[in-house]
Amino acid sequence: MAIRRIEVREKLMARNDELAAEVRGRLEAAGVPAFNLVSSPGSGKTALLEATLDRLGDELRIAVVTGDVQTENDAERLARRTDRLVQAVVTGGACHLDARQVLAALEEVSLDDTDLLFIENVGNLVCPASWDLGEAEKIVIFSVTEGEDKPLKYPKMFERSTHAVLSKTDLLPHVPFDVERARACAREVNPAIEFFFVSALSGDGLDAWCDFLRGRARAGAASRFAGA
Amino acid sequence: MHELSLAMDVCRITEEHVGRDGLARVREVGLEVGDRSGVELGSFRFCLESLLGAEPFRGAVPNIRRTAGDELRVTYVEIEDGDPAD
Repeated sequence: MAIRRIEVREKLMARNDELAAEVRGRLEAAGVPAFNLVSSPGSGKTALLEATLDRLGDELRIAVVTGDVQTENDAERLARRTDRLVQAVVTGGACHLDARQVLAALEEVSLDDTDLLFIENVGNLVCPASWDLGEAEKIVIFSVTEGEDKPLKYPKMFERSTHAVLSKTDLLPHVPFDVERARACAREVNPAIEFFFVSALSGDGLDAWCDFLRGRARAGAASRFAGA
Repeated sequence: MHELSLAMDVCRITEEHVGRDGLARVREVGLEVGDRSGVELGSFRFCLESLLGAEPFRGAVPNIRRTAGDELRVTYVEIEDGDPAD
């Protein structure tokens, strides 16, 4: 019996990548910078977004797509801080968002009236690193109650993130967390990664974070104007 | 990571190349798995063997080659061709 070999050379997850490219195209055309917030569960993604909406909600038009395995609790928390529509994606068991879900959520978001988009991923430091959502940048959050070596344990996530937000810094006096070691671990896997140090509770460090977001929103608006 | 959904994607890609009717004649599916792809090889192989070993396949097997980098791809499909009496 003859065996015939068919050459394929087709990437797995190519569909997700195609849909992510579509998301990216739409966002870039509209000049909307989009951030994919990733972290382990309980690192403070939602708290950071709450604090961000409190500070920038009147100044910038911020849209949020938030993913959870179950419940719309995070979306409800965020909806209390903004008049804008917060899109909840319940993944029903899946431990990450995919580009198809983000594309569907964007149908409800008016990008022409949006300055910034946050995609709050499901809390998980493994899978979200592998799924492109069409974001401009991944931002990884980790808190001072976690290990300083988190970047070494989950290198892909830190490699693919442009920024790291060290959260819950108000707890630093109470926990044996070595900030310099954490930073060194992150730079070991991603020498270019930049840090923010924030406490959503006390407000410490949020000025620098908000300035960064303002800068990205301005650049997005400039590209929208240039493209118009 | 998502070894089962990745393995299902392998089946989908295979079907695109050989058609639904061709799946029963698939003998081998060649794959490249990057060492930084985030895939747990043992689990991925288990999922592939489970899917390729069941209907509508008839005993196809995966042939996984490790590569450097983070890419994951199907590289070839081997299929029994022509007259069974050959």
